[in-house]
Amino acid sequence: MTALIRDPANFVETQVEDEIVVMALGTGNFFALSGTARETWELIDGTRDRDALVADLATRYSLSPEIIGPDVDAFISELRVLGFLRID
Amino acid sequence: MQIAGAPEPSPCSAAGIMASETRLRRGVVPSRLDDQTLQPGRYLLSSEAFLLRSKSGIGLMYRKGEGITIEQPECADEREVALWLNGMLYSAIAAINGLLPFHASAVAHNGHVYGFSGASGAGKSTLAAALSRYGMQLFCDDTLVLDLSGDGTITCLPGHKRLKLWPEGLRLAGAREREQVAAHYPKIFADPVAGTVAKPLPLAAMIFLEVGPAPQILSVPAGERIARLQDEHYTCKIFEQVGNLTRVQRFKQLAQIAARMPMHRFSRPFAAEQFEESLAVIAKYICSESSS
Repeated sequence: MTALIRDPANFVETQVEDEIVVMALGTGNFFALSGTARETWELIDGTRDRDALVADLATRYSLSPEIIGPDVDAFISELRVLGFLRID
Repeated sequence: MQIAGAPEPSPCSAAGIMASETRLRRGVVPSRLDDQTLQPGRYLLSSEAFLLRSKSGIGLMYRKGEGITIEQPECADEREVALWLNGMLYSAIAAINGLLPFHASAVAHNGHVYGFSGASGAGKSTLAAALSRYGMQLFCDDTLVLDLSGDGTITCLPGHKRLKLWPEGLRLAGAREREQVAAHYPKIFADPVAGTVAKPLPLAAMIFLEVGPAPQILSVPAGERIARLQDEHYTCKIFEQVGNLTRVQRFKQLAQIAARMPMHRFSRPFAAEQFEESLAVIAKYICSESSS
């Protein structure tokens, strides 16, 4: 399994009410995660690969993996570009 | 720079500390701070001291526990001196003493402070002054000093600066016109019709001014609150520089402040002919908030 894991060397996060705010350590830019973005972020904990992540979200939202998949892939891709995510 | 007519603050209070730390004496101001040489028109800042030399030759030195030393050329414009004392220097003293200088004007209503923040020219001073016509006393203009030392509500220190308005703002606010701020600076000193406040009060909300098609009060999304605390104004830069925190420490500090500071957005048209309508909306909002 190639697990998805957040890379804490490149960010710091905090919770503000129902959102998670992530700051990129390199640039100082902020990103606010709410709703499904926040849930997806929290599920990226090193115990799931991409398919398991999609499957969990699909179950939560009663949608098929085929519908959830592209959005999750886009989110993963964005996190990798930012350096917040690595794949082990 | 003790506020005239104000009760003597406790020496250990934030107000007392600022009163003590802003005591003024004349003397020679050095040209170096630690290992750095000061250039005219620039300033130097550390966690304990602030040094400035204006292009006109005015020298200002503050060191924690020692107050302010001013070196003033004979030809110095007293109005320029006052601008420096009440502007960047005051904010630096606040920051060095653990207070947060915030770029905002504010009013007081029912024992609480409502701050108005936004970019320069957003209308903060005009709005705060105009709310005087609704009985809300001016709490401060341009810089709101916050005491974050308590665990709960943030305490605001009463303003140290005179109200300054552009001529159009003076007309819209209905404030009493005084003299021009300085020969090279055409803003006008003014007195708000409901007067000012001279004692610290708790912060009710920070309201960020924006331009929009119709006047309305909007929420600030939780994730935006941290970002709202950072801008390009010198007050923010001074606070950041004095703290000398790492990026992570600064982020955590901002998160703590954001969690304690109630925030809203006031979106309204910027056109003068719609000012009264906008004023009525924000006045009504403050009155309803303060009575709940």
